[in-house]
Amino acid sequence: MYQIPREEWYDLTRAVNWTPKYVTEEELFPEEMSGARGIPMAEWETYDEPYKVTYPEYVSVQREKDSGAYSVKAALERDAYVDRADPGWISTMIAHYGAISVNEYGASTGEARMARFAKAPGNRNMAIFGALDENRHGQIQLYFPHANIKRSRQWDWAHKAMHTNDWAAIAARSFFDDIMFTRDAVAVSIMLTFGFETGFTNMQFLGLAADASNAGDHTFASLISSVQTDEARHAQQGGPSLKILIANGKKEEAKKLVDVSIWRAWKLFSVLTGPIMDYYTPLEHREQSFKEFMVEWIIIQFERQLADLGLDAPWFWEDLTNDLDITHHGMHLGVYFWRKTVWWNPAAGASPEDREWLEEKYPGWNKTWGKCWDVITDNLNNDREDLTLPETLPYVCNMSQLPIVGMPGDGWEVKDYQLELDGRLYHFASEADRWCFEQDPERYKQHQNLIDRFLTGQIQPADLSGALLYMSLGPEEMGKDAHDYEWAEGFKNKNKVG
Amino acid sequence: MAALPICLNFEGDFVLQLVGVDTEDTMDQVAEKCAHHTVNRRVAPQPEKVMRVRLHGSSESYPRDMKVSDAHWRLTETIDVIFADK
Repeated sequence: MYQIPREEWYDLTRAVNWTPKYVTEEELFPEEMSGARGIPMAEWETYDEPYKVTYPEYVSVQREKDSGAYSVKAALERDAYVDRADPGWISTMIAHYGAISVNEYGASTGEARMARFAKAPGNRNMAIFGALDENRHGQIQLYFPHANIKRSRQWDWAHKAMHTNDWAAIAARSFFDDIMFTRDAVAVSIMLTFGFETGFTNMQFLGLAADASNAGDHTFASLISSVQTDEARHAQQGGPSLKILIANGKKEEAKKLVDVSIWRAWKLFSVLTGPIMDYYTPLEHREQSFKEFMVEWIIIQFERQLADLGLDAPWFWEDLTNDLDITHHGMHLGVYFWRKTVWWNPAAGASPEDREWLEEKYPGWNKTWGKCWDVITDNLNNDREDLTLPETLPYVCNMSQLPIVGMPGDGWEVKDYQLELDGRLYHFASEADRWCFEQDPERYKQHQNLIDRFLTGQIQPADLSGALLYMSLGPEEMGKDAHDYEWAEGFKNKNKVG
Repeated sequence: MAALPICLNFEGDFVLQLVGVDTEDTMDQVAEKCAHHTVNRRVAPQPEKVMRVRLHGSSESYPRDMKVSDAHWRLTETIDVIFADK
């Protein structure tokens, strides 16, 4: 049977729009859901997504990807890679699944909002595929870790984490609530796909797939590659929205959405990906430092993309670049010290060899971060594990919901950025965190961070044990040192030799 | 006499922490309570120095025998604890 060539019908079908007869345009596309910002329908009809796909093509490619990833999993399951993998790599997977899997389902609803409410027909078309993508990502990233529940209850946190009040889950929910659950279709296209996915998810997944391959984890590598290739496509929905906003006098508003999203994504990235790349991944498998990765794949890419759109880099760009020497080291040290409060086993990554690598990649590391690790190491080598564990909570930022960290040791510089509003004192980890809050105080001011919940009596008993209960962490689930402190032994021997 | 939660920034440490003090505490007692969560955990002790308390970012430390109630701190006020010669 003759088939009309794709190029002859594609533009007609992807740009389907109609004049509503039974309801008004405003009723069909309510502003609070569509976010057209007064820009007429004719302008939205010019939306031109750079990546085009038909439904038959989509289904065929997805089928291939799924059968590839599931086949690798089935074949390698017999090999029991997980039983012999480095514990640091296991922690990477467990942390990743807990932070990502359920949020993929969440992203499916963000895509569905665009599929239903975007005034741009091209966006609606792409977002249908996006919603299917995210649904698949949720399913596959719950199915794969499920096979390992027999090995440890921590694997169950792939599904459980986002349904708890674990601090990391609160931070992730705060971010995703802000950029994809509670925004109109246009804002979702910019904040979720351009701000978060283009730079962070898409690139993070590329790096993670490479790390997985290096670590010999071909199951995880094929899973992540199969997800990343979808991200590369549906992350392109924000660019055309930005072009339309800019062309119609909404440049400042567009820029603000981009900037808030990039900053908030960066903070989440610093706690999730930073420690994995610089500390959890076994030394012999590390190719790039987190900072090198960020500069090459995020900073430069964003600068280019923003310039292509005629947008300046965010005002905090220099702060973000400087933060590449600080924030993720602080997040890692915090996660390690408060390790009982996470669902994975943090790898210290602070053996003599690790520290040599860190000093090379981050000159001055030993005199700053190393000073804190010196005390921790000495305590472990003097049978004082109790002093390597906390008795209080770290103070948490009212924007990112993550600990407020800074440079320790000889370069000590830790700063609290405050704001007093309606008689309440808010604490922020940076000027940019406070700036995000100030863009829309009504949106954020009622939110209670972990410390607020503690101080208002929601955490009982009002101590660290109560906090662990509040976070739903059972004894078999709470984190412990991934390598059972073996890394500290190197210093014992070093001292003896010395 | 009342409990007051504060936000601690300790010299040499990497993170702000929640610490409970009492309005009747002197600044030396505040410093001791703060040190419990930091010194010998992530910051090496400096026995030849004393610990002084100041409002976050201020260059002036409070007198060592001053009471918390006289400092008029807000709920969750941020304070620095630093090592000093006296």
